[in-house]
Amino acid sequence: MPILDTRDITKQFGGLIAVNQISMTVNKNEIVGIIGPNGAGKTSFINALTGIYKPSSGQVHFKGKEITGLPAYKIAKHGISRTFQNLRVFSNISVLENVMIGAHCRIDNPFHHIFLRPFRSKRIEHQAYEKVIVLLKNVGLEEKKESLAKNLSYGEQRILEICRALASDPELLILDEPCAGMNSAEMDTLADFVKKLRDEGQTIVVIEHNMRFMMAVSDRIIVMTEGAKFREGTPAEIRNDLEVQKVYLGEQEVE
Amino acid sequence: MLTGFFESKQGKWLLLGGLTVCLLLVPKFVTDIYILSILNMMIIYSILCMGLNLILGFTGLLSLGHAAFFGIGAYTTAILMTRYGFGFLSAFFASAVLAMLAGIVIALPTRKVRGDYFCLITLAFGEIFRLVATAWIEFTRGAMGIVRIPMPKIFGIPIVTETHFYYLGLGILIFTYLTLKAITDTRYGRAFIAIREDELAADTMGINTSLYKIMAFSIGCLFAGMAGSFLAVYQTVVTPSNFRLEESCLMIIMVIVGGMGRNLLAPLAGVVVLTVATEVFRSTAEYRMLIIGLIMILVLLLRPQGIFGSSSFKS
Ligand SMILES: Nc1ncnc2c1ncn2[C@@H]1O[C@H](COP(=O)(O)OP(=O)(O)O)[C@@H](O)[C@H]1O
Ligand SMILES: [Mg+2]
Repeated sequence: MPILDTRDITKQFGGLIAVNQISMTVNKNEIVGIIGPNGAGKTSFINALTGIYKPSSGQVHFKGKEITGLPAYKIAKHGISRTFQNLRVFSNISVLENVMIGAHCRIDNPFHHIFLRPFRSKRIEHQAYEKVIVLLKNVGLEEKKESLAKNLSYGEQRILEICRALASDPELLILDEPCAGMNSAEMDTLADFVKKLRDEGQTIVVIEHNMRFMMAVSDRIIVMTEGAKFREGTPAEIRNDLEVQKVYLGEQEVE
Repeated sequence: MLTGFFESKQGKWLLLGGLTVCLLLVPKFVTDIYILSILNMMIIYSILCMGLNLILGFTGLLSLGHAAFFGIGAYTTAILMTRYGFGFLSAFFASAVLAMLAGIVIALPTRKVRGDYFCLITLAFGEIFRLVATAWIEFTRGAMGIVRIPMPKIFGIPIVTETHFYYLGLGILIFTYLTLKAITDTRYGRAFIAIREDELAADTMGINTSLYKIMAFSIGCLFAGMAGSFLAVYQTVVTPSNFRLEESCLMIIMVIVGGMGRNLLAPLAGVVVLTVATEVFRSTAEYRMLIIGLIMILVLLLRPQGIFGSSSFKS
């Protein structure tokens, strides 16, 4: 059974149909890529999945449960975690606190325990801290854990945002244009990192323009244009598809 | 080497312990009633500003009505003790709870409205509170205020002198600090900060932002209620003019000047500076707000993050 299953997701903004009846599935331990020209509706589709927007119609099922239209914080608790196209780290606080906040919904520390079971409360918080430190070590940010997020390089902030998303032990990780603004060396590091995550069992949906990156990491690619699903296939199939090339060549002339 | 020690965990607690001992010893050396009364006013503002920092510095909600919650606490204690024969401790408890409940009700709209509209709601609430306190004469005795609030007793010990009130106030202040420290050291404190930094991102981290905003706001109000209860027994009189918009603004300025955010004690620096300034310029009452404004501009130019604020608020 697929872990994520969307049926005819549609999102309208007034007269504009940003997402038009998208159905897709994501299996466990798979990396699904979504590509498409700017304005194709990729981000809107992700926003409709993660509770930023309520879908106008259609259903989202996650691990067999319907989660359509739930508020974002509940969807996060169900196990979907994401990053943002235009980077939304918490700039004015430390790297460590950023990632600790990412772990928020997995820290089992009810409010009254702060006063009624203070030792348990402290222990649980400390366990979370130790897990976060391991995570930071894995991505090479441990040395900078006390730096403010805004003082990291752009590439590091991208990594930090992914790290923050991973801190909630998501069953599905969604990355929205993780390579935007990265140089090619940073991009290769990121590709290796994403593949390593998959090898560790992580399920990922990734939106990205950079074809080299997408070909390297995706198991399956979905092409979107004008809100609708245009093609779906393996990276090789997509690369050799003449119509996809047309859509993309058109796009690159514009840029 | 020494600074390193004072930044370690044990060092910090040692420093705080030392500070507490010094504060406890103050009345041994300071016997001047006037100075003690200023210290007591500082304690009241410190409790208010620590609570306000949770709302403003942590969660990023601008409240222009903090004086109203202070007032709810003060009037609750005043009315319960003068008319219903309550003892101080039970009136104190009721004041805190009532201020918190009012905070919950006022914070409910944060679920729907943007920050700037919420700020207007708190402004309106502050004015409504003051108008009701002035106009509902049977209940609040209007502008004359409630007078002859009985002397408080704690476990049979009467609180009479400035020194007694100093110790009572200090006790409430320490309780406030320890409670807020315990809360903000957990995922709750971090969630409040996340809301200030980026509410949408906080939401996608699994933080129920509507609930957490109400939590932060009402906890801040709880301490305002305690400060109000203390004010009532300390002054033995409460009048609506204690809770004007000017007071709410003064508290905000104190928090900003001292430094908002993670450092719970930073706002106290603002309390000290502004209380001293308003005392020095007491005779020129009409220039008071001018002086306060000047201090704020000066501090913000020289140290945008506040006197003890972390550099994170420098843009
Ligand atoms: N909040 C919104 N309100 C109105 N229109 C929107 C909103 N978000 C996105 N759109 C529109 O939806 C379309 C798809 O945008 P988007 O999902 O960002 O595309 P992509 O991520 O593929 O570049 C665009 O035409 C965009 O202008
Ligand atoms: Mg996009």
